[in-house]
Amino acid sequence: MNTRLTAAGVRLGYGDRIVVDGLDLGVESGTVTAIIGPNGCGKSTLLRALGRLLRPSGGEVLLDGKRIDRIPTREVARLLGVLPQAPVAPEGLTVADLVARGRHPHQTWYRQWSSGDESAVAEALAMTGLLDLADRPLEELSGGQRQRAWISMALAQGTDLLLLDEPTTFLDLSHQVEVLELVGRLHRDAGRTIVMVLHDLNLAARYADRLVAMRAGRVVAAGGPHEVLTEDLLREVFDLDAKVIDDPVTGTPLVVPIGSRRTT
Amino acid sequence: MTAVRGTRAAVRLGGASWRLRPRAITVTLLGLGALALLMALGMRLGEIEMGLGEVVSAIVSDGPAHFVVMELRLPRALTGALVGAALGLAGAITQAIARNPLASPDILGVTTGASVAVVAVMVAGGAWYGGVSGALAAVGVPVLALAGGLAGGVLVYALAWRKGLDGYRLVLVGIGVSTVFTNVKFWLLTIGDVNDASRAMTWISGSLHGRGWEQAVPVALALGALVPATLLGTRSLDALRFGDETVTALGVRTNLARGLLIVAAVLLAAVATAAAGPIAFVALAAPQIALRLAGAVQPPLLVSAVVGAVLVCAADLIARTLFAPTELPVGVVTAVLGAPYLIYLLIRARRERRT
Repeated sequence: MNTRLTAAGVRLGYGDRIVVDGLDLGVESGTVTAIIGPNGCGKSTLLRALGRLLRPSGGEVLLDGKRIDRIPTREVARLLGVLPQAPVAPEGLTVADLVARGRHPHQTWYRQWSSGDESAVAEALAMTGLLDLADRPLEELSGGQRQRAWISMALAQGTDLLLLDEPTTFLDLSHQVEVLELVGRLHRDAGRTIVMVLHDLNLAARYADRLVAMRAGRVVAAGGPHEVLTEDLLREVFDLDAKVIDDPVTGTPLVVPIGSRRTT
Repeated sequence: MTAVRGTRAAVRLGGASWRLRPRAITVTLLGLGALALLMALGMRLGEIEMGLGEVVSAIVSDGPAHFVVMELRLPRALTGALVGAALGLAGAITQAIARNPLASPDILGVTTGASVAVVAVMVAGGAWYGGVSGALAAVGVPVLALAGGLAGGVLVYALAWRKGLDGYRLVLVGIGVSTVFTNVKFWLLTIGDVNDASRAMTWISGSLHGRGWEQAVPVALALGALVPATLLGTRSLDALRFGDETVTALGVRTNLARGLLIVAAVLLAAVATAAAGPIAFVALAAPQIALRLAGAVQPPLLVSAVVGAVLVCAADLIARTLFAPTELPVGVVTAVLGAPYLIYLLIRARRERRT
């Protein structure tokens, strides 16, 4: 197994505020990694840096062994798709137009809509079950459908490496499961490497084969769901007293909270 | 392969391929037809009215009619069309970058910068020349306007740049700088000699009066260089409508693309202003009209340019003939037509927000 993405001693922050310092992380090819941790622990910041949306002020991010900031951004876009948290689309855009935009890194001024572009868009729409909604404006869709449309755009980009920043926020449970099943299919059927930030620990344990638990800008634990999601770790990372039992459906760890240890 | 619903038909030639936008093509062709018609009408109307046959024979034969058509009316109509196209294009770029339908090159500091430069020299120049006329009016004013416009653009750009160019910040800085420039302009007008000030007023309302080949040729050259360049940037412009993170994720060098397109808009607006003065509202209205005609999500560049050309040509025809023999500055006509349109847009935007 080879490492696709590496963070080596990265220091990340916004202006003078350092959020992550000296963090190391490797993402193996063909795995689904979920980054978990309490609010403000730097997990989205880390994901943004892995997707070259944020430049580290120290250390480096490597994509296939090369420094990501030395690779032309267009070439990166052909290898790695990033879905930012709460992305903004212009008004009036249809699903098909949004998904077609994902072909941008493959197009030039004289090759703007090749048959390859067309089939990639059709395939991405089919995979997310959006073919029937393709001509609908984005703002008419439900939250779950809209999130699927954005994932579809990232899929049309045709990269086998996908970074998803909280792909399930604002979604109800059934839509969360729907989006994560899609992620699972992408992993199983197409062998894609996926890194996502997730809030729901039980869903993370279910759909990721590797968990990275963060607190205060540091990686506290990384490994398989059973290794990471322990009662001790929940106490350390989330200040949470909880019982961890086996998920009756999948056998993955299931967190049952007892109560917060934070003084209120 | 069956076409996916909502995706567009394509033109494919060998390795090359483009999306087909039938409605935009139709609108462009109709616009060019209307432009040809307006220009033909412009050749015919004026102090000496001519039939179309007379115009044609005047072009080939020598004589006073030849002079009227080839040296007065044709270059003026061409300047109008080219200036309109440049303003439409500059407006479309600005509105797309600022993600705001009410943005125009005025907020890039170009038109107001040009106005300050021209008014300052006209007012101060009264002392040196005993009035601005002759050589300065013909050659000096456009060069001055170009310099002032570019300086204004650079100032806004420099003040708005903070580790990158943000559309929202650009609008705010631009409005601030424009307001300062406008007030300096008014201050200069009040302290200046009455005659100089009135000459300056004519220029700052935007006029095509007496515009000849010496104005038409530079604008044509500028457009010839900038139009292909901006059309190449259309793809980036389409992507730039998204949030910055999405744009980067798609492999666009956000700041570079945005910066280059703004530079193109500044140059287009500066050249147009140098040729005809700050003609109001064209850059604002043309992209919005084009957007509605073409049924697009954002102002299409080429259609905006054609609509701009049609607008200025039509407005100049009205300016020339409505109160003949007295001529109105074309900027007055575009402002009178444009102001109600702006109000309509504002009312519509409010309604849309309410529903």
